[in-house]
Amino acid sequence: MDMKKNNDIMDLLSEISEMTGEEPEILNARADEAYVRLSEAGFERAALALAKQQFSLIGLFCAEAFEKEDGFTLFYAFKQAGRAPVLVLVREAGREEKVSSVAESFPSASWFEREVRDGFGLEFTGAFDTRRLFLHECYPKGFHPLRKAFKNGPLPLRETEAGTTKVGSNEARTTKVGSNEAGAAEAGAAEAGAAEAGTTKVGSNEVGTNEVGKPGEEYRFRQLKGEGVYQVPVGPVHAGIIEPGHFRFSVIGEPIFSLEIRLFYKHRGIEKLAEGKSPSECVALAEAISGDESAANAVGFCTAVERACGIPVPERAECLRAVLLELERVYSLLGDLAGMAVDVGFSLVASPFLILREEMFRQNEKLTGSRFLRGMMMPGGLKKDIPYSALKELAPFFAKFSRTFESAFERAMSSSSLIDRFATTGVVKKGLVVPLNLTGPLAKASGCPADTRLNRPYGAYGYFAPGPSVRKGGDVLSRYEVKADEIRESLKLIDRLLEEMPEGPVFAGNTLAEGEEAGPGSLSTSGTSGDSGTSSTSGISGYALTLVEAPRGQNLHWVYLKNGLVDRYKVRTASFCNWQAIEHAVLGNIIPDFPVINKSLNMSYAGTDL
Amino acid sequence: MNTSFLLFALLNPAFALLAASLYMALIRKVKAQAQGRKGPGLFQAYYDLRKLMHKEVIYSPVSSGIMRFTPYLNLAALLVCSLFVPLVFVPEPAGGFGNVIVFLYLLALERFFTALCGLDAGSAFGGMGSSRSMSLAAVIEPTMVVAFAALAFVLKSLNLHEMFALTAGSLLPVSPTLVLVSISLFIILIVETGRLPVDNPATHLELTMINEAMVLEQSGKNLALLELAHALKQLLLMGVLINTILPVGLSTEANAGKIAVSALSFLLKAGALAVVIGLFESSLAKMRLFRLPAFYMMAFFFSALTILIEVFA
Repeated sequence: MDMKKNNDIMDLLSEISEMTGEEPEILNARADEAYVRLSEAGFERAALALAKQQFSLIGLFCAEAFEKEDGFTLFYAFKQAGRAPVLVLVREAGREEKVSSVAESFPSASWFEREVRDGFGLEFTGAFDTRRLFLHECYPKGFHPLRKAFKNGPLPLRETEAGTTKVGSNEARTTKVGSNEAGAAEAGAAEAGAAEAGTTKVGSNEVGTNEVGKPGEEYRFRQLKGEGVYQVPVGPVHAGIIEPGHFRFSVIGEPIFSLEIRLFYKHRGIEKLAEGKSPSECVALAEAISGDESAANAVGFCTAVERACGIPVPERAECLRAVLLELERVYSLLGDLAGMAVDVGFSLVASPFLILREEMFRQNEKLTGSRFLRGMMMPGGLKKDIPYSALKELAPFFAKFSRTFESAFERAMSSSSLIDRFATTGVVKKGLVVPLNLTGPLAKASGCPADTRLNRPYGAYGYFAPGPSVRKGGDVLSRYEVKADEIRESLKLIDRLLEEMPEGPVFAGNTLAEGEEAGPGSLSTSGTSGDSGTSSTSGISGYALTLVEAPRGQNLHWVYLKNGLVDRYKVRTASFCNWQAIEHAVLGNIIPDFPVINKSLNMSYAGTDL
Repeated sequence: MNTSFLLFALLNPAFALLAASLYMALIRKVKAQAQGRKGPGLFQAYYDLRKLMHKEVIYSPVSSGIMRFTPYLNLAALLVCSLFVPLVFVPEPAGGFGNVIVFLYLLALERFFTALCGLDAGSAFGGMGSSRSMSLAAVIEPTMVVAFAALAFVLKSLNLHEMFALTAGSLLPVSPTLVLVSISLFIILIVETGRLPVDNPATHLELTMINEAMVLEQSGKNLALLELAHALKQLLLMGVLINTILPVGLSTEANAGKIAVSALSFLLKAGALAVVIGLFESSLAKMRLFRLPAFYMMAFFFSALTILIEVFA
């Protein structure tokens, strides 16, 4: 197995040197991930060649002061469908703040680049879309929260809005708040003394006050004109209990001619919050990324830390993690199956799925103490073992569950009115999957057998693989069937895992100290960790990337540790890429079908807006 | 005017107004039970009305008088309609009351002002609802005309009071063709009250709404009046259907005992119909918007068939 993996990565590296005609500088290589630095010309040749060979750009992120570098370093993660290794091209942007865009070759790069631009202030030349992404107009110009110079804290936004004067020159500028110019000028004069350097761009905290009164760039939606074309703005506040998102439809009558989505209304700054924290503290942050992907994101983060630090994970912990991940998948997908039926007004079909989902939440609580499976994961294993009595209950629970589920699904599939609504609605073409880096049930329903558990097994999935489920239609009905298949496969997987559950510890550092209460909790980097745990992260520097298959698709986690503390934590959830599919899926459909298309894709708003 | 009609004019609208909300709640209850939920109590619809009456009314700054008077106009139109459909007893005909054509126009008036009201607030959803409602009205209105024409053909009158005087009290439909007309009337009832598979009254998804979208901007007392008008419309259409297919218990005499029997039997029959509607709604997904005319065509077909049978048989 390892030999083969090593060959995979060697093959990939030799491909790269063929593509670029230069010998790549290998910064770091593991069995299934390699960090490669190329010359600028080599990078551009490589990007073109990778796009031609159907590689997806699965992630693009930036780090400041990476290893020995001083400026910004960009990481382009590429992966080819069906192959395990991830190729990360490392590109130094230095302090120039200008690099060329790859969005022409990799459409998925567009959002990535806009995200980096907002976070770090790098400009991507040649990009077809240079609007802001997660920083809306309310953020001042020149504010880039992920720069190290910005110390996390409140932004003086109120004052900024009121002011109209450019620091130093004292020239009155016209802004939206024209009425209180006099007061604003005073405010500006007062601040002039406080902040001298008017043009500095680096110290972001000051930038907020320097660029007084400059409202953020105006966000322009695509303008489509023509006879009978009109726009329907929907959101960001919706009826019902859902998250905020703005949808701008251009329609001719009922058929949708174009859709533009705008998200990121609730930016929480998770990546910034992670900076400087110990890995064990960060697990809670990872769990907070998206409610029904808590376990997946926690495992993604923990695995990344374990890989970076070389912490072994006991077999039992791996297997229990897989059980929890599959439980999460089942309850999440049950919600989708119910939601899709509700959105076509068929509550009778939806209700058994909702009942099963609630029963699962109760099982989750018995197993872990949390309905959303939170508070279990930690780097090196699990925080606590799952009691034998609760595990034993699972098999009979799922036997009954499976019968109810099958009869509920049968009822859905035997309703012609439901099928009529689902079939041919909201087609995602197969050709979109690679360029937009679509993953999860969405990609599977469009004919791509993309599953990280199969293609790049992690944890217990090396031994317990789920069966594949693929449909070719790409429509809502295909996604409905794929999601039901996924649930069935997860149930089988849970069954096998329970049968072959190994005994032993659930935390690597805890092998000899079973009696000690403090055991696993002592992962913190501070001096208080008195144990001689073999798996401590303290003082270690390193970085690693992991991919996990969350219910919605592949999530990417990249952790860079500096002296045992998280220096940069990057998460790219499946939703971040999958959201872009909706703009294509709705074309030609009618407006009343949008809700069911949206629900069938079921992307997370929170998972996109970190 | 005769004393029988005066008594009817007092009792029938009052009875209809009081009973209307009960069936909104009952249908909701049946649907909830079908889904395995308990559902709200039968008086919830009344509590909701009381709550709305006490709430503040908020108008969009771009709205005109239409938003303000439509609720009153709609309820008034439906109250007049309630003089046309005998529920407590069938009075002796008086003037134009009971005329089928006036009845249909009163319903059209209500629909027209509801659609205007949707446009008036200037929100994206209201306009969408109005445009959908009007496009569909172009199909359902001729269907309604044909269905009521079929009813008139079978019962040999253009006056609802005369028609139902003919059917009143019989255990079975007086003519087998009335069964066909009843299918049409049931579809019209579903369409006119915005129920599944045409429109989902329980949805929060504005983009899929038809009826609800038009009253989305209404609030407080105005919303209460519109909801009451809607419930009244449902009750009256239920009344037409019940008097056509199952007129047992309905009396033509205006004495206290007969009125009580009529009213009580109507309450029971309407309860049974509400259960049927609730189960029907539960058994279907909402149809695609552009497939709805096919559903209306079924009503059209059964009514046209009735007319053909009546003419040639």
